[in-house]
Amino acid sequence: MATLDEPTRRDIEAFVYLEARLADESRYDEWEALVTDDMHYWVPFGPGDYEPGTRVSYINDNRARLGTRIRQLATGVHHAQDPPSSMRRVVSNIEILSAEGDEFEVGSNFVLYEHAVQATGHLRLWAGRATHRLRRTSDGLRMAAKKVELVNSTSPLPNLPFII
Amino acid sequence: MALTVQSSPASNDYQHLVQEDRIHGSLYTDPAVFADEMQRIYTDGWVFVGHESEVPEVGDWVSRRLGTEPVLMVRNRDGAISVVANRCAHRGTTLCPQNDGNHRNFRCAYHGWTYDLDGTLLGVPGPKGFHKDTADLGLDRPGQVDDYRGFVFANRSGAAGPLSDHLGAGGTDLIDRTSNMSPTGSVRLSAGWIGQHIDSNWKMWPESDNDGYHLNLTHASMARAVPDTYYDEIVMTGEDASASVTRAYDGGHVELDFRRSYTTELAWLGTTREKVADYCEALEGSYGPEKAKTIMWDGPPHALVFPNLFLAEMNIARIEPVSPGVTVHHHTPLLVEGTDESVNRRLVLQSEAAMGPASFFLTDDAVIAERMHRAFEGAAVGDDGWVDLSRGLEREQSADGQRWSDITDETTNRGFWHHYRDVMAGVVGDRHNRV
Repeated sequence: MATLDEPTRRDIEAFVYLEARLADESRYDEWEALVTDDMHYWVPFGPGDYEPGTRVSYINDNRARLGTRIRQLATGVHHAQDPPSSMRRVVSNIEILSAEGDEFEVGSNFVLYEHAVQATGHLRLWAGRATHRLRRTSDGLRMAAKKVELVNSTSPLPNLPFII
Repeated sequence: MALTVQSSPASNDYQHLVQEDRIHGSLYTDPAVFADEMQRIYTDGWVFVGHESEVPEVGDWVSRRLGTEPVLMVRNRDGAISVVANRCAHRGTTLCPQNDGNHRNFRCAYHGWTYDLDGTLLGVPGPKGFHKDTADLGLDRPGQVDDYRGFVFANRSGAAGPLSDHLGAGGTDLIDRTSNMSPTGSVRLSAGWIGQHIDSNWKMWPESDNDGYHLNLTHASMARAVPDTYYDEIVMTGEDASASVTRAYDGGHVELDFRRSYTTELAWLGTTREKVADYCEALEGSYGPEKAKTIMWDGPPHALVFPNLFLAEMNIARIEPVSPGVTVHHHTPLLVEGTDESVNRRLVLQSEAAMGPASFFLTDDAVIAERMHRAFEGAAVGDDGWVDLSRGLEREQSADGQRWSDITDETTNRGFWHHYRDVMAGVVGDRHNRV
């Protein structure tokens, strides 16, 4: 666990909350502005303790594929998010796991309620742990990696076409 | 409006519910139909279970379903593969609640009954209290288990005839073409399975997975986000412009055949020879230059082996019925052997883009299936609630145990449903309605 000065800690927590809210509200242009050019977005199958690509993951996006994901969401004809899910997530247990130079590894837990309005109208519950790698840049904090380990990732999951 | 319920055909009159150019929507939603399917298709017929490469070592097992029946596919001590019920023969406790593992034997957590890997009962605590011969108390086993090129199938009833009859020429060719993508002729399913939960009937997946008509619209977002995908070249081109064809084979196996549309070698892999040189050389070394060239141009099939095996190009998918309104669509990348791992890394990345609940394609199919299922909830047999499957009926051609037509025609849907009708109505073997 890294000990940080209070303003830095507040900046990091504010970033994690902002990232969550932009994702909740499907504000993908603004969300994408938060990521670095080497962003890696990963939703592993089971614990994220393997090298991505050596076995299949739900999501294993480099920056280019993440761009495709966001462009697809922006087409207006991505049925899986047409209309977009109504979502709210609660982020808690934020811990600064490490701080090295300009980079911070941040762990948090989340619970996300999704109203899947596209077909079933079901209220879907997603829960897990997010690990952010944040980097301080001249534009402020940016996200270089986000790993999302879902508590139930080894069971079949419903559609996950939004940013979790 | 069909309000004359007493004169309507019965909900299990499959000859009426599946017609030449339409089927009734209650086939998706009626619980009585689902119960019939679990018997006639998933108990009386052959069902895909898994691939032998998933259980390479003695004691390796994976958890599967034959219809809704929980089973384990296990590598035995003698190297053969068993399929046994994942249910203690004593009081029915699930033996292995996980997805996969390796055990020396299977021991029930409830009273400690212990089974060998092939399901034979090895021992019970307190044996003096039993007067039965414990040799009769092994795990339930399907009546038939067989494989073709490592693809393991099981039939619970034991009365389905040989697997080769179930596969027929069409299914055999499809599995051959899939297996031949590997330079050794043996594929490897070792990258893990991901399951997609869909709130729709299972039959929407043999249909959707092999529907050439929906690609332009259902997947329009992908075409716009990545305009240069090979799907764009081969199927987004519109009626009459594509050289691809739909095919239906005897036995309900169906294919979207993209082979004629590929304009470059390795188009199906989205790459060129230079990027996967080791793989191409391995294919040529194994098969010779001519056959290797065919494999590199044609790529893997995109096809259903009836009822639940989707050969999804360089993925394998299992369609698992859970209830009338719930299906799990499982997939794993199809990995190849006898070459360096770089091509397999590429295949894992390609799989993550195409398949699963966070992919660029299956997410849209899932929502369409869920909308379709909801539209037929409560559908009763009558004049309303029919599904039209007439597209291309007048222009499709047939010969040698198969039908084919334009890629956008519903030849695949009809092929699936007409075989389904034969199985459900008990007329398989009656060849009058074979192609």
